[in-house]
Amino acid sequence: MRRACAGLALLALVSAVGGGARADEEVALPLVQADVDEREAQDGGGASKDPWEGMNRKIFAFNEGVDRWFLEPVATGWDWAVPEPVQRSIGNFFDNLWLPVRFANDALQLKPRDAYETLWRAVINSTVGIGGLFDPASAWTVVKSDEDFGQTLGAWGVPPGPYLVLPLLGPSSPRDTVGLVVDRAGYVPSYFVPFYVSLSAAGTDIVNERAGALEDIRAEREAAFDFYTAVRSAFIQYRENRVRDRADDPAEDEDEDGLYYYEDEDDF
Amino acid sequence: MTSDRTPIRFAARLAVAVFALLLAAPLVAEGGAPGARALIEETVVEVLGILRDDSRTEAKRRADLEALAEQRFDFRTMSRLVLARNWKRLSAEEQEEFVVEFTQYLANDYGERIERYDQEEVEILGEQAEPRGDVTVKTKIVGGENDGALVAYRMRKRGEEWKIIDVVIEGISMVANFRDQFRDVMGREGPSALLGKLREKNAKESMPADA
Repeated sequence: MRRACAGLALLALVSAVGGGARADEEVALPLVQADVDEREAQDGGGASKDPWEGMNRKIFAFNEGVDRWFLEPVATGWDWAVPEPVQRSIGNFFDNLWLPVRFANDALQLKPRDAYETLWRAVINSTVGIGGLFDPASAWTVVKSDEDFGQTLGAWGVPPGPYLVLPLLGPSSPRDTVGLVVDRAGYVPSYFVPFYVSLSAAGTDIVNERAGALEDIRAEREAAFDFYTAVRSAFIQYRENRVRDRADDPAEDEDEDGLYYYEDEDDF
Repeated sequence: MTSDRTPIRFAARLAVAVFALLLAAPLVAEGGAPGARALIEETVVEVLGILRDDSRTEAKRRADLEALAEQRFDFRTMSRLVLARNWKRLSAEEQEEFVVEFTQYLANDYGERIERYDQEEVEILGEQAEPRGDVTVKTKIVGGENDGALVAYRMRKRGEEWKIIDVVIEGISMVANFRDQFRDVMGREGPSALLGKLREKNAKESMPADA
């Protein structure tokens, strides 16, 4: 399911799983208070949603270190050793194991159609797809549910709260952190297999997922003027969009935010 | 042959031609320029055509894509939007330089990434009116690694033509993303540092591309 998003979206999600990114040199520089005030005055996105920026930047830098010295090299080796179709099958396999959680979240958000399609997807891929290794359901069913409990809380009207970077787990928010814990608790295989199997499976999933995003993340890091800010901005927008179910931006938000307007626009 | 010239035949042909024109009319908006949706459709075909044309060298493909982007995007508007209030902190010369450097930066960055998208198809989902006359054209990527990803183009009319002013991938607006980053850099280090970073990135990019 994480494959279903491009560029920055992919980056935001994979960072959320694999944990983060390399810190730019300027990351540690303290912010002058006047600048913070000015930034907050400017618009709704970004800085004003990150009151814990000092702490977040430190954790982000730590995650970047872990990624740079451990996860990325391991994933690079994995990508070299494991053929693309096998990587895809491993990804499918883990996606399939999460379908009960997706189903529960579809149901909790009162989306019967999505819940029905998720159920069918699980049945088809577990049988015809040989235990989830293949994804024949994508050709037959329309909805590929990507609901998690963070989104369910969002659908119930719970705001995300401030931007929060978790150690190893990456970009999140208080709401999405609760969501992570609840989804994990609902993850059926962890009750049936020994702890060490769960752990190595999770490790495989993370490395495999990270291997699928090597080039994307490299490109994002290289392109960013401030990688911390780029990831934060992308993550916040991405999660808001997910909670809205990828529906259209409400127009009134846009006017408040002023994203597409500037002074003297009419002089053009 | 000669029977075609009979008045009846000629009238029939004329009627067909007029009818075809009427059918085609909705595709062509006021002033003869294509509508927003038609423009995106056309652009997609052109981009995929360039990406899949192996007879062109990579450098040629890149140059052709850049030339196309130059026509389709309004980089000046994008520059003003990403800088927002900070635009006024730049002198007139700095503003001109920013537009040039930012355009080059986007060309380098996206030119490199788009090379990997030659396997994908693009489905146009529809268009939606936005405040103040803008239009969003919604598309979906079909096939490849990003199968199903939603990509929307925010369009604004400049004179007779529609121009792209933002690309929104899975809800992530490119303009918003750069605005957040530039606000940080401007807040911490000011305009000359931002221009310096842009120049530095562009210089780094242009070296291997020329080689």
